[in-house]
Amino acid sequence: MAASSSLQLSSSLEDYLEAIFQIVREKHAARGKDIADRLSVGRSSVTGALKALAERELVNYAPYDIITLTDKGRDVAEEIVRKHEVLREFFVKVLSIEESEADAAACKLEHAISETVLERFIEFVEFVERCPRGGTKWIKGFGYYCDNDKKTGNCEHCVELVLDDVRSKKMTEAARQQGILTLAQAACGQRVAILKITGTGGIRRRLLDMGATTGTLVEVERVAPFGDPIEVKIKGYHLTLRKDEAERIVVECV
Amino acid sequence: MPNIVCQHRILSASTTLTVALAGNPNSGKTTIFNALTGARQHVGNYPGVTVEKRAGTCKRGATTIQIVDLPGTYSLTAYSVEERIARSFLIDGKPDVVVDVVDASNLERNLYLAVQLIELGVPLVLALNMSDLAKRCGIEFDLVLLETLLGVPIVPTVGHTGQGIDELLNVVVAVAAGEKSSSPRHVPYGGEIERHLDELQGHMARSVPQLNGVPRRWTALKLLEGDEAVRAEVASADVLREADMAVHRLETVLGDNPEAAIAERRYAFISGACQEAVRSTVESRYSMSDRIDAVVTNRVLGLPIFLGLMYLVFQLTFTVGGPPMEWIESGFVWLGGAVAGLWPAGSESLLRSLLVDGVIGGVGGVLVFLPSIFLLFLAIAYLEDTGYMARAAFLMDRLMHKIGLHGKSFVPMLIGFGCSVPAIMATRTLESQRDRLTTMLVVPLMSCGARLPIYALIIPAFFPPAWHAPLLWLIYLLGIVLAVVCAKLLRATMLRGEAPPFVMELPPYRWPTLRSVTLHMWNRGGAYLKKAGTIILGIAILLWAMQQWPNLPEAQVQRFAAERADVAAETSQTEETRAARLASLRNAEAEAALEASLMGRIGHGLEPVLRPCGFDWKISTAMIGAFAAKEVFVSQLGIVYSLGEEQAEDSTPLRDKLQANYTPLQGFCIMLFCLISTPCMATIAITKRESNSWGWALFQLGGLTVLAWVVTTAVYQVGSRFF
Repeated sequence: MAASSSLQLSSSLEDYLEAIFQIVREKHAARGKDIADRLSVGRSSVTGALKALAERELVNYAPYDIITLTDKGRDVAEEIVRKHEVLREFFVKVLSIEESEADAAACKLEHAISETVLERFIEFVEFVERCPRGGTKWIKGFGYYCDNDKKTGNCEHCVELVLDDVRSKKMTEAARQQGILTLAQAACGQRVAILKITGTGGIRRRLLDMGATTGTLVEVERVAPFGDPIEVKIKGYHLTLRKDEAERIVVECV
Repeated sequence: MPNIVCQHRILSASTTLTVALAGNPNSGKTTIFNALTGARQHVGNYPGVTVEKRAGTCKRGATTIQIVDLPGTYSLTAYSVEERIARSFLIDGKPDVVVDVVDASNLERNLYLAVQLIELGVPLVLALNMSDLAKRCGIEFDLVLLETLLGVPIVPTVGHTGQGIDELLNVVVAVAAGEKSSSPRHVPYGGEIERHLDELQGHMARSVPQLNGVPRRWTALKLLEGDEAVRAEVASADVLREADMAVHRLETVLGDNPEAAIAERRYAFISGACQEAVRSTVESRYSMSDRIDAVVTNRVLGLPIFLGLMYLVFQLTFTVGGPPMEWIESGFVWLGGAVAGLWPAGSESLLRSLLVDGVIGGVGGVLVFLPSIFLLFLAIAYLEDTGYMARAAFLMDRLMHKIGLHGKSFVPMLIGFGCSVPAIMATRTLESQRDRLTTMLVVPLMSCGARLPIYALIIPAFFPPAWHAPLLWLIYLLGIVLAVVCAKLLRATMLRGEAPPFVMELPPYRWPTLRSVTLHMWNRGGAYLKKAGTIILGIAILLWAMQQWPNLPEAQVQRFAAERADVAAETSQTEETRAARLASLRNAEAEAALEASLMGRIGHGLEPVLRPCGFDWKISTAMIGAFAAKEVFVSQLGIVYSLGEEQAEDSTPLRDKLQANYTPLQGFCIMLFCLISTPCMATIAITKRESNSWGWALFQLGGLTVLAWVVTTAVYQVGSRFF
């Protein structure tokens, strides 16, 4: 803890570090002039800041030489950039604030915000994205509320839409679960991969011997005119089997 | 670890080597076998089963190589009869070299058998067959690398041109002499399975030192796969308990039965080897064969094409085969006449009768089937070798499966409408023993061509013209319905069991060589003559004897002689009337002779038994005669009604006699009984040959006769209450 407190950076030094991080990311190395230009400050204040950062072993700095980040410096810079991104995203996505304004606000807040609060911000964004009652529509609703004199829309209808949404999502989930089927159920022309062969005895043995092992790709080629035996392509050859037997082969859509 | 002791056996000047030919079905094994042996081959059966055993020889310098063609198998488990036979030959027959014929254009699945042969520890040579076809498909092989990866010598061959056969024989001889060192690679089964394999091998080393020359590792693998035959062979409670525990542990670890994991590892090993040594230069997803299949097994076109082809096969067998059959028949009639001419006219010599009616008639009865057998097997050879037969089974399986049969049963059933003999031979195309037997047993219910004269005689004798066609249809339909019922009954009782899996390869279409087709045809015809022919001839002579003895009592013979003398002496009548009276006397004497003979006596004896069916002794005697061949019923009936034996099915006097003596119901019952009962002796003989057992042949004879009695009695008894 003591070490970390001695490393406590002022918000302006954090800005410097962030600027160097970004310049290095673009150009692999930074010069004093680049930093001064990016932050719109004088060369002398840059030199002072660099010295302070070098003391904390965050940058490799020698006068007139190029400037790079130490490993530690990169870690700290990345942390600051992450805070910036999270905040900016929150402002844009949740609060519907314009990008440039969000950026500026994030620049200021990133130095003041604690790790716990930041984590909560991230979790909140995730929650809003995931929760059926949130989502992009909900945020749009918030934008509408802000722009239209704090008026709400048809709340009942909105909740109903959300419910429909949840139900249809559940259905697609079930359909994906059904990606596991038996070979007898697979459609003509469908390509599937074998998961396992159920049952025991001669039929299973025969199927294994013919190459129907786990992971093998099978393509359903055609069904006989009377609708029973099916023809499949497996390991480069054609095989025909009754639906009773295909029933035993559990497959997965690919 | 491979544990091969290199034995340097010095081949002495004249040695005999036994070479077993193994391979997948459709791998071109038969063409290799033909190329190796040429015509020096013979076809037999493995003891106790219907599976064909083919063997042949070829010479290599002073060495005679005996080649045994094993049944085509995909694996060496003990689930199918073929696999059991192949395996027991490999283990017990101790062949000097095993040649595994591998289809180069379908390498991965073919090598599955090869790795099992390697595991079995047999001296192995791989024949990479159809290498020309594979090359054309754009597949390139690094044979040296593949040999190293598998550790066995590989020879590229082209079966139908004979290319590579010489080289194959060289390698076989070299391997047999131990001149070619081989270090077969074993499939690595992965940590868990390997550990259990080692443990089991350790247990076996302690408690089962002798394993019939089979590697312990193989036995251990089979124990993990739960192979019943190997479990019985090991017979050590300790080892078996250990194996059960290992299987149980593996099930927990792998989440599946070890046999699945073992199959998977084998395929993984093969796939690894193929990835290194095989290169596919052309991506061909849609081959010629696929294009043919798109039409031939099409949902709409498939059935019409199939029915059209079946019509062609039927026509080829019986329409094209008709004239040669007639030539053979008339040839034998001529021969019989010529031989009879050696004796003075009117001679009653027993030897003459034996030669003319017994031997010549019998041989004629055997040979008359040959044209249709040759032609049918020509057609079947083409259907099978091109790969269409598998498609036919694919198309028809749903229908046939409902009756408890296999899709391929359709062809024998259809041929049955022509003649049961080639039809029963055609059941060879069925792989499963149960399917074969069921089909074989019910085929005689398909009303064959020889029964048509009986219907043609009886229907017009009793029924008005408007009924003719519907009645004929009814008879044929009854046969089909009974066949379906019997097949279902057999599958539910005597031939019960898990329906054999219909997991069948649809091989790529290939055009067979004329040589292989001719050989196929020749082998079938030869087998028929040798095996069934002798039985048919034997029964023919037996029937002749039954008709011959005991002779007409001397008193009666003298009475007929006296009457004949009277007629000859009467000068008041014209020549014509005298001749007519003489003929009717001759017929009356023949009738009396038949009644006096063993056959007539049996016919009389059977009368009480057959009375519930509405038959008298005349009909039962004619039925016994019809055992020789169904159409003989008509001429036998001619004899018993003293009309002479030259009665054809359109004979008016015979119809008049029938009409005078029987009711239409009895007429129908005669047809019914002829349809169902006792197939002819040739059918019984061929069933004996094909099922490889007298038991099934006699069961067919007895079963169908009892069925005929039951059905006819029921119809007659119920019918006579109404009519």
